[in-house]
Amino acid sequence: MILASIEPINGLTLSHYMLTSALLLVIGLIGFLTRRNMIVMFLCTELMLLAAAIAMIAFGRYHLDVSGQVFVIFILTIAAAEAALALALVVLLYRHKATLSAEAWSELREP
Amino acid sequence: MGPTVLYTASVFGAVAVYLLLRPGPVPIKVVGTLLGLGAGAWILKESAVVLSADEAGGAGTFFVLFSLIAIASAVRMITHHRPLYSALYFVMVVLSSAGLFLLLEAEFMAFALVIVYAGAILVTYLFVLMLAQQTPETDDQSGQPEYDRVPREPAAAVVVGFVLFALLGDMFFSPEGIADLPAPPSEQQARVAAWQQLDALPDRLASAVRREIGRSTDIEIVADRFGSAVRIEEGDAYVLVRTAESTEPQTVWLPDDAMPQNIEQVGLALIAKFPVSLELAGVILLMAMFGAVVLAQRQIELSEQEKRAAAAGDGHRRGGGISDAPPAAGTGGGGR
Amino acid sequence: MASADIFSVLAGNLTLALQDSAPIPIAETAVGMGWAGWILWLPAISTVMCGLCAALRVKNKLPAWITVGLLGTSFLMTLALWLRYDHPVVIHLLDWIVLGGDRWTFIANFSLYVDSLTLLWMLFVTGLGTLIALYASEYMEADVRGGYARFFAGISVFLFAMTALVMADNLLMLYLGWEGVGFASYWLIGYYYRKPSAVAAAKKAFIVNRIGDLGLALAIYLIWHTFGTVEYRALFEALDSGSYTAEAGGWSIKAIPYLLMLGAFGKSAQIPLYVWLPDAMEGPTPVSALIHAATMVTAGVFLVARMYPVFLLEPASLTVVAWIGGLTALLAATIAMAQHDIKRIFAYSTISQLGYMFMGLGMLSSVGAAYHVFTHAFFKAVLFLTAGVVMHGFAGQVDLRKVSGLRHLPGFRITSFTMLYACACLAGVPLITNGFWSKDAIMAQAFISTGPGFRALGVIAIITAFLTAYYAFRVWFRVCAGPVHFEPGEEQHDDNHAAQHGEFRPHAPRLAVNLVLIVITIGAVGSIFLKGWAGERIEDSTAAYLSPHAQGVGFWGDPHAWMPWVASAVGLLGIAVAGYFHLVNRKAADGLKNAMLANPATRWLPTAMENKWYVDELYHLMFRGPLWLGGHILNLFDRYIIDMAIVDGVARIPRLLGRGFQPLSNGILQSYAVSMAGGVALLAILVFLMPQLVDWLSHWMGGAG
Repeated sequence: MILASIEPINGLTLSHYMLTSALLLVIGLIGFLTRRNMIVMFLCTELMLLAAAIAMIAFGRYHLDVSGQVFVIFILTIAAAEAALALALVVLLYRHKATLSAEAWSELREP
Repeated sequence: MGPTVLYTASVFGAVAVYLLLRPGPVPIKVVGTLLGLGAGAWILKESAVVLSADEAGGAGTFFVLFSLIAIASAVRMITHHRPLYSALYFVMVVLSSAGLFLLLEAEFMAFALVIVYAGAILVTYLFVLMLAQQTPETDDQSGQPEYDRVPREPAAAVVVGFVLFALLGDMFFSPEGIADLPAPPSEQQARVAAWQQLDALPDRLASAVRREIGRSTDIEIVADRFGSAVRIEEGDAYVLVRTAESTEPQTVWLPDDAMPQNIEQVGLALIAKFPVSLELAGVILLMAMFGAVVLAQRQIELSEQEKRAAAAGDGHRRGGGISDAPPAAGTGGGGR
Repeated sequence: MASADIFSVLAGNLTLALQDSAPIPIAETAVGMGWAGWILWLPAISTVMCGLCAALRVKNKLPAWITVGLLGTSFLMTLALWLRYDHPVVIHLLDWIVLGGDRWTFIANFSLYVDSLTLLWMLFVTGLGTLIALYASEYMEADVRGGYARFFAGISVFLFAMTALVMADNLLMLYLGWEGVGFASYWLIGYYYRKPSAVAAAKKAFIVNRIGDLGLALAIYLIWHTFGTVEYRALFEALDSGSYTAEAGGWSIKAIPYLLMLGAFGKSAQIPLYVWLPDAMEGPTPVSALIHAATMVTAGVFLVARMYPVFLLEPASLTVVAWIGGLTALLAATIAMAQHDIKRIFAYSTISQLGYMFMGLGMLSSVGAAYHVFTHAFFKAVLFLTAGVVMHGFAGQVDLRKVSGLRHLPGFRITSFTMLYACACLAGVPLITNGFWSKDAIMAQAFISTGPGFRALGVIAIITAFLTAYYAFRVWFRVCAGPVHFEPGEEQHDDNHAAQHGEFRPHAPRLAVNLVLIVITIGAVGSIFLKGWAGERIEDSTAAYLSPHAQGVGFWGDPHAWMPWVASAVGLLGIAVAGYFHLVNRKAADGLKNAMLANPATRWLPTAMENKWYVDELYHLMFRGPLWLGGHILNLFDRYIIDMAIVDGVARIPRLLGRGFQPLSNGILQSYAVSMAGGVALLAILVFLMPQLVDWLSHWMGGAG
């Protein structure tokens, strides 16, 4: 039963998964654009990466190809690296100004 | 599902997200929630998801469930005014996404997602959040910093976001949008591809053959002239096995569960098809670790006053001032 | 007639040969005379050494001794050259510009063209240069700590340029020297560069000379264009061949003399370009004596004399020269009568005497003109040098009403009597002064040569002679004679310490100044007997043109016979008038002036004379006014049309654009992110709608086509 029905996928089509993925991406985007807390903004980027991962898996399943899942591994790698660096940056910035607001850093000059 | 439905639902969704985003009284939030749910339900109805437990193991039901949880959690994540809760809602999104992965037969990735995302990355986020923010005692909004309570220009963001969503959705559902998608392979082609992978896994093949012929002693699987042992016939596979008893090769049909499992397929693809990318991913992770260590190590940043104070203290000890500090503060000991 | 015989004896052998046009003597190439080049190089070396002194901060009189020594050597070499001279030669020094091929050539080398005209000029240029440098070594001693080396470097560069001008064997080298003397003049007029009036005078001299130089440059170009050469020898050979005439040569041959004239009038301060010379008196007095009286201003006369054959091709040009010279002489003399500044009076007298010279050239008395240049150089140098003594002695006092009775003051005796002799020369006192003889030759010629209105010019010359005698002795009687009385000027020399204590002691000249004054005065006396010699100098040169002789008979038939009497009479009359008004009865002069000012009918005369006939104001109105107006209009155009509308307008477009997009770059991260996401959405819309767009476009195009 592993490679059972392909089109539609278990009564669903590829489009359903893509719709979910797109909606998550858009919500992540809106969150990134509206939230002013740097940590939440990075969370929103993680959400967008996750939406991309869902799309990858769905496409891979559609084509019966595991390359999609391999790409998700790479996405996870990037997400982990990004989280590490971003959080290190946030810590650094928080030490400077004791705030998590992104607008505190809107001036491109030395403090 | 026609584009009109999608666009209208997008507009409703946009209004719902906007109402939830902007700071306001609870009734408005309720209206937004209802609006969003209505839009979601409408889309579900129009997209003809079969909500039956019988059909394909109830995949439709699970899909609706996981999708709704993921989307609702995502909305809550971006609307919650406490970052800690946002992070926790994100965990919900990750878990329901893992569910969707399971529906898509990507079991390994589902577990990897939970372990890596929910287990590792999100915990890091929570650590940083707790490091940076003192959680207020009460759940009162007024205890939160202003930048967490008031979003920035929600209207523009929502408009941009849902325009993008409408376009993407239109591509997924309109005939023109999916016309360019190559046709998926047939089931038989998929099975052939999976059986062929078995050649790269000789141990698994050997154990499957032993299990099939019920013998644990020495057997020899005969390869053809291309070196391939698995012979495929109309989606099924067999091997020729030569045992100690008989010199004549014996045909053994392989069962379906001898096919490579998901985790084996992923590992095979990772090693065989993307070795360089794998190495690069390792390098990236290493560099990210170094970067994080360098960035987050404590750099002592002193304000002007602190510098002056430090210089004064130094001056007391060594009897001299530091040039960039005012000399009176250094040698005089007491400042001016 | 006995006295007439004396005159003719003293007139020397002027009347040697009688022919209408003498052949132009053609120079030969001299071999083994390269040493003559040192006459040219020594002043240049002196310039360099004075420059080194300035660079090494030498604070003593070393630059003066270097200059005097090198210039004196140069003078001795000129003497040696003169003693060995027997026919015109060209001495090649080094190649400078050699261009051209088969069809045309342009050759201008550093070569010397030595004929008697050159030697005549060189003798007084280097001789007076040396003496005046010696004089300046004392006169400028207050500046030993300041611009001493700069001053002598300027004198040396002037001598170098003047030597190049006079000894050049081609017009381009002459032009080099011409510009060089203009530059040296600018340098030295503006020597007191902290004084605004000196700077303004230097600029004025430079700019006015530039107008004349333009004429000279065009003339040189036309000469090259017409005759195919700028070398004197080739030019004179071409002219001597007789193949060029004004009729055959077309407009360019006719234009050449007028353009040359423009250059000569600029350098020699004639109408209409004379206005720079009076202002040039802002320079130190030795400079006025050397450059603006004795030597440089005669360069124009030299140019006309040198290019005399070219002028003879178009005789009408000589008439113009004569008339302009005569009018300048009269105008400058009338202005000089009403001035109070000694140096300015002498400046106007210089202009006036230069007018005589041009008049002589124009009336075919090139010998008289050259002789007058020669004599004038001596007495005018003495006049300026004595004026310098007065300035030096009375702290810059130059007003003749403020200094009186100089000859009774101790130490000023030599000054007074050399000045008396020089004034007598200028006035033309009979027999004993050189100015009498040279001026007489010119004035007499006015009644001999036939030309339009030459008789009237002669009358003008006689009137001018009377005025000259008057203003020359006005100065002497005022300054040197009469009761002792003086007021010091405002200038404070370092050694004039007494002025600060309320008691002013005149600063009498010392050895160097007195020596120079005596030597030059002796030279002036000696030049009385050199008329014939100077005449020979001219006869031998390109300026040779044997003046027409009197056709009449008897005493009144020969102007050379009666002119000395008339000239003596007007000269002595002028001296007598000056003596009455300025020595015997000084109040009468003021009374006469006040009477004229009181009478409305005559009020204009003294006023206009004192204000130099308002020529500066007229030029201001005619040239500076329109230029000023045009400049301001252009300024407004530049400021409002070009700057404001075009430049700023163009610059404002990007600024407006930038201001429109400024909110996008507010430094807030999410704004950039919104722009990015919006851009992605727009691109997606474009990609999504592209097929429909293409369909619609092709449909529309097809429908249209």
